[in-house]
Amino acid sequence: MTTSSRPAYPAGTVITGKWHNNRFVIRRVLGQGGNGIVYLVHKAGYRNLYALKMGYDTLDLQSEINVLTSLQSQSRHQDGLKGSFKTPFLLEVDDFTGMGKEVPFYVMRYIEGNPIHHFIRRRGEEWVGITGLRLLEKLTGLHRLGFIFGDLKPDNVMVSDYGQVELIDYGGVSKIGRSVKQFTEWYDRGYWNAGSRSSDEAYDLFAFAVLMIQLLNEEGLKAACAQLLPQTRNCSELLNLIGRSPRLKPYAPWLRKAVQGEFPGSREALAAWKQQIYAPAISGRAPGKTPRWLINTFAFSVIMLGAAVYFVFFK
Amino acid sequence: MKQILLITDGCSNVGASPVMAAAHALQEGITVNVAGVIDYGTIGELGSLEITEIAKAGGGVSHIVGTRQLAQTMQMMTRKTVVQTIQQAVNKELKTILGDGSLEELPPQQRSQVVQVVDELTETTPLQVALLIDASASMKPKLAAVEDAIRDLMLSLQAREGRSELAVFHFPGRNSTEDAVMDTDWIQDLGGVRNLFQRIQMKGATPTGPAILKVIDFFRYGTLDGQTWRGNDGEGEGMLGDYVV
Ligand SMILES: Nc1ncnc2c1ncn2[C@@H]1O[C@H](COP(=O)(O)OP(=O)(O)OP(=O)(O)O)[C@@H](O)[C@H]1O
Ligand SMILES: [Mg+2]
Repeated sequence: MTTSSRPAYPAGTVITGKWHNNRFVIRRVLGQGGNGIVYLVHKAGYRNLYALKMGYDTLDLQSEINVLTSLQSQSRHQDGLKGSFKTPFLLEVDDFTGMGKEVPFYVMRYIEGNPIHHFIRRRGEEWVGITGLRLLEKLTGLHRLGFIFGDLKPDNVMVSDYGQVELIDYGGVSKIGRSVKQFTEWYDRGYWNAGSRSSDEAYDLFAFAVLMIQLLNEEGLKAACAQLLPQTRNCSELLNLIGRSPRLKPYAPWLRKAVQGEFPGSREALAAWKQQIYAPAISGRAPGKTPRWLINTFAFSVIMLGAAVYFVFFK
Repeated sequence: MKQILLITDGCSNVGASPVMAAAHALQEGITVNVAGVIDYGTIGELGSLEITEIAKAGGGVSHIVGTRQLAQTMQMMTRKTVVQTIQQAVNKELKTILGDGSLEELPPQQRSQVVQVVDELTETTPLQVALLIDASASMKPKLAAVEDAIRDLMLSLQAREGRSELAVFHFPGRNSTEDAVMDTDWIQDLGGVRNLFQRIQMKGATPTGPAILKVIDFFRYGTLDGQTWRGNDGEGEGMLGDYVV
């Protein structure tokens, strides 16, 4: 549930922490959601950029901070973890007095990039394979720490210009075994009558599958949601969509398994995704016409080969 | 923890004041939330005022939404109220430990620990939610959506670690002496319940206040049958004797 936008602090406002006395200078608003407003800031006297989230509710924000703290401390004890928590994400927690009110905030790493759906729209569907892979790696990392992401949706997946993936908004992160704290209809397994709202790895994989379907066939997904009444809504509608849509075809076997909760865990799902996108028939691209540049490259290689052969035999 | 979630689309017009009834609920330790459902037009100034006041008197929250957002809203209100109730209890404890200390004033480290406790209790505290559905004539087209929203709420509650139960009531009853009808007793799974509102007969009257009082009784004595409490508890008799019309 998103609240209407609230007045934001203008650029140049200095936010001084009450407990640590650090000063952060606001540059601009990065975004706003149900739990708070996020600013791009730099520390006074330094140039490095950070993201600073001011919470609307002390308890909700603290709960989010607790999750981040616990993720960070746990990843310190786990080696070989591929994920964002080796380099700290949460940098400072403090309060400041703004407009006569105590406002809690935390400072985190600034994630540059665009939400995944914007990225894919701009850069093309052939990026789904690799960004999907990196997102799955992030999720697997979280799962290994004993948490699920929960509120997986395109707005919470940032992709850099070169396809690096980062998760933002840890407000939905829930301990495995507990109820899912925050979710969004489309991506919620419960909404599709496809399972519980308890946190398990399959919950994130389900949301991931819906996200992939959205990236590749948003119209189809919208139509499926609009037609169905809640009591008849179920994952067979998603399965139909997966079967029907040519653009989903390369990912169909994987998506089916995720929607039906058939992966034993995210590690297996990750391995299967890799296998699928690197399978020779697909090699990172949906089947269809071979793109021009590839034909050209191929033509070029044939010429080179011809030349080489010629060179060997007729020299 | 006990909650009543009232789902209605307008003003009460018979019997005791629902705002007063909600105050009684709060007194009994039952929080009252209200979802006002309207798809077309507005709920009217009077209706929306009543909804706000019921929630205020009942220590809960109210929202006016269309049927599309009903499920999400009910889920959100229920969860928020659990958190708030626990936070209030924790704050009270804090006051006795720290003298004064709202969450906002605590230093970061202590605040983190307090919130950890609140989160833990939010997940594990046993919870009973009584849904009270206004089934007056104007609600008829919305009942299917209400049922879906209830099933969705059950799904969210089932995911909790603590024991969570729902009971469902509607009002008015079949005759003027029946203020509320039970559709299902405390239940932890709606899977077996095929049709929640089989017994509904749409009538015009909206005895919201008396229905809330009935549900308070149900929390106390596990039955809607007035006989039971009259036999057991003199105080209850006074309360209902005065207010039930
Ligand atoms: N670390 C970050 N780096 C860059 N941008 C960020 C960062 N964190 C948040 N944002 C931006 O701010 C927006 C709101 O942040 P966030 O999602 O954390 O708020 P929220 O209130 O929890 O939102 P929601 O209502 O979706 O839960 C994001 O959509 C994103 O655009
Ligand atoms: Mg959030």
